[in-house]
Amino acid sequence: MPQQTTEVSTETYRVRIAKLQEAMKEFGLRAVVLESGPAMMYLTGVRWGRSERTFAVVFTQTGDPAWVLPGFEEMRARELIKVGDDIRVWQEDESPYQRIAGILKDRGVALGRVGMEDSVRFFVFDGVRQASRQTPKLEYVSAQPALKSAGVDLTPPAGRGGRKQ
Amino acid sequence: MNRRMFLASAIAGVAAAQQSDLPEPIRKLKPMLDGVQPITAAERAARVEKARRLMREHRMSAIYLESGTSMYYFTGKREPGQAWILPLKGEPVWTPADPAKAAQALRDSSVATGTLGLEEQVRFAAFDGLRKEAPALEAVSATPVTAGCRMIKSPAEIALLQRANDITIEAYKAALATLREGMSQRDLSANISAAFRALGTGGGAMAIFGKYTAFPHGSIQPQQLREGDMVLIDDGCSVEGYQSDITRTTVFGKPTKRQREIWDLERRAQDAALAAAKPGAACEGVDAAARKVITDAGFGPGYKTPGLPHRTGHGIGLDGHEWTNFVKGNKTKIEPGMCFSDEPTIVIYGEFGVRLEDCLYITENGPRMFTKQSPAIDQPFG
Repeated sequence: MPQQTTEVSTETYRVRIAKLQEAMKEFGLRAVVLESGPAMMYLTGVRWGRSERTFAVVFTQTGDPAWVLPGFEEMRARELIKVGDDIRVWQEDESPYQRIAGILKDRGVALGRVGMEDSVRFFVFDGVRQASRQTPKLEYVSAQPALKSAGVDLTPPAGRGGRKQ
Repeated sequence: MNRRMFLASAIAGVAAAQQSDLPEPIRKLKPMLDGVQPITAAERAARVEKARRLMREHRMSAIYLESGTSMYYFTGKREPGQAWILPLKGEPVWTPADPAKAAQALRDSSVATGTLGLEEQVRFAAFDGLRKEAPALEAVSATPVTAGCRMIKSPAEIALLQRANDITIEAYKAALATLREGMSQRDLSANISAAFRALGTGGGAMAIFGKYTAFPHGSIQPQQLREGDMVLIDDGCSVEGYQSDITRTTVFGKPTKRQREIWDLERRAQDAALAAAKPGAACEGVDAAARKVITDAGFGPGYKTPGLPHRTGHGIGLDGHEWTNFVKGNKTKIEPGMCFSDEPTIVIYGEFGVRLEDCLYITENGPRMFTKQSPAIDQPFG
């Protein structure tokens, strides 16, 4: 069971992200979408319990990652996010998938392949594909080959998720 | 909390609860599971029939579920690594959660074309594999079927939820009797877990002290209990898989005028939500009713803090959070058998937060709380 440490520096995360971006180019992925979990932990250091409220990070081939998270968790989340200041919150009556679709649009990802991490839950993927209906030229594929090639550690970390309020 | 982890340690916990190092109020607890009636096979069969009716309505040829609460709901089993397929016609099928094998099972059930409903927690990898192995099937969300069944609770389900709520109140009473100067939030959390174990079930709750009560999900900052601190505990346990979710907020010591005023306001907001949760009303109206009490007092508006930064409540059943929510925009009509939390938090960053959370179920005659609401800031239990 891997131990969580706080020793990993922001620079290390930047190096890991750059490596993923290289792999994305190699595998032809215009974007990669992750929910919280081991891959997010490895690439960004952000550890967040999964709940029905979508908390996601989107990588594109260049630039910093973009974040999508619940509005009322913003303060707690900002304490954890070390890389990327494109943070898009969704309020309780809003759609997180619209936020993800908005990131793709703003970053010029209008066609081509979007990689979904294998553990992304169907309702998140389904929400994204429906929110992106205006860009029907997007193709959703598994991000796993690119993640593996970039050496992303996909081992589930110890500890438990949370569901509270 | 991940309840299953607690369940795993529950048996060991009964022995541990007898150890003398536990605080007196917890040592005195006795298991509360006598007479619990599990869901019967006949009730599960009726659920499957209802699922088929909804599948027909939503034009699904089959639904595909992997291990999780919906699988448990229909089958009474939790089978990691297995998938359960319910075709519109014919018998349900168990198969390894492997796309090639699942696609074969679908073909064997004469489901080769049409629409396949995927349970919403299924991983993208399963979707990706199934579209390759069964390319003529169109994958859609099975939620109209799974939630369509699960949102409406039977009397047997309400009885299990009632028990989980009753146990949680007893655990909280015992744990709040252990408050002492200097204890950490983790000490209190551990006492709550120990109380649940002594009561015979798996459960736990987060504990938050002082200004950190403003963070709806707490803070990792170390906290030591001081005279005058707000104390917030939130979560619950499960009985036969059915979850409780209760929050109590109180003060360690004598409350200030400000603490009392905000607490009273919170209680009025919780009451307003309860009064609005009438059968036939739209879910969003319940949120609006609670939020109005808080914004009329000068907080907010909307989700702005200081104020109520989140929805007023969520559905509850086999998942602690499930369909449907008391949230703006949700026009779903409230129906008898639905179960919800009622928990409009008031967040004042830098000062404190107050959340009172009780769960309710809807009857023909209106909403009924599972638990007695907290009557006053210095009386967590009614």
